[in-house]
Amino acid sequence: MNLSARYTELSRLADLGEEVEAAWSSVSDRAGSYRVLPDGRCDIILRFDAGRRPIAEVTVVVTGPTTRFYDVPIEPGMGFVGIRLRPGCFETVLGFEPADLANANLVGPDAFAACPDLETLCAPARDENELVARLTAFVRRRVADSSSKPAPMARVVISAFHASGGRLRIGDVANMHAISERTVQRIVFGATGLAPKTFAAILRFHRALRLLQDHRLSPADAALEAGFSDQAHMSRVFRRMGGFSPARLPDVTLVSLHD
Amino acid sequence: MSVRLGYTILYVADVEATVSFYEAAFGLRRKFIHESNLYAEMDTGETTLSFAGEAMAEMNGLAIRANRRKDLAAGFELALVFSDPREAYGKAVAAGATPVKPPENKPWGQVVGYVRDLNGCLVEIASAMPG
Repeated sequence: MNLSARYTELSRLADLGEEVEAAWSSVSDRAGSYRVLPDGRCDIILRFDAGRRPIAEVTVVVTGPTTRFYDVPIEPGMGFVGIRLRPGCFETVLGFEPADLANANLVGPDAFAACPDLETLCAPARDENELVARLTAFVRRRVADSSSKPAPMARVVISAFHASGGRLRIGDVANMHAISERTVQRIVFGATGLAPKTFAAILRFHRALRLLQDHRLSPADAALEAGFSDQAHMSRVFRRMGGFSPARLPDVTLVSLHD
Repeated sequence: MSVRLGYTILYVADVEATVSFYEAAFGLRRKFIHESNLYAEMDTGETTLSFAGEAMAEMNGLAIRANRRKDLAAGFELALVFSDPREAYGKAVAAGATPVKPPENKPWGQVVGYVRDLNGCLVEIASAMPG
């Protein structure tokens, strides 16, 4: 076991705090489009012109929970920094429920209308690092000031879904926590803005993607390990959620600051 | 090529709470808890007992059934060896372990009892194998 590698990753995670799953940045080097896949998470993204220093104009984008892919148009030199919120932390940080933003995004003024505090993120900045630090500080401050903290039961229920890669049935999750299925539905919907079945399906899709891409499993092995009934089932889900087939994976990974 | 059992790693919902529980209930000592609260090792000698946060299972690309106190126990157990298993059992239960089976004498000379820890994992409380 490579413990030293694990530590490096962890200390960076510790810096981000428990509401933030990842901080990422990316600069597009081409014109075209970028494919966003449903991942059961919501991001706060700052968009800017990466060619200018200091960074003068910053646009805020808040992405809601999605159930299928969509393409974002990009131009060369467009810069992005973002933080991915852990499921369950959306309302704490932004002050409204993720379900209000299902399959939608809020850009610029629309984002300020939903959460006026977001406007503080748009001040000019020296570089990307300052924007990342600003985003992280924003989340910390909002969490400290927020009155709606996720309930401890919500945290463990969401964690059980995640840990299983979406393979547990809703009834199983209810039983293992000695709560009703109705309560599981309420918790997952409140935390992610998605029905538990949809949330679990997204987690399975993502894990299968990772098993193919990172673990380099064959489609048959990935389908089995990810919990699909067969390879054809996995293929149908990939086409619906990702718009591609498991045999031809596009380059869909966002550049993470912490990779 | 050689192999040895190096680590037993349990994925748990709360690493810090689990470490504190294992100290209070079983008298094990912590070696360290990482500042992220996602990984800890107990001071268990040559074979390390570790606890990892459930988020780490996902980070490692694994899918697991999370251990929960109110769920059916998973199909494994940790066996801890005590000089006085009867006293240890009482202490564990007093610290919040769920009683499953009080220690009893086995025909082969061992004393063996079972509890479940705060996450629902089975822990055997035993005396050393007579030898």
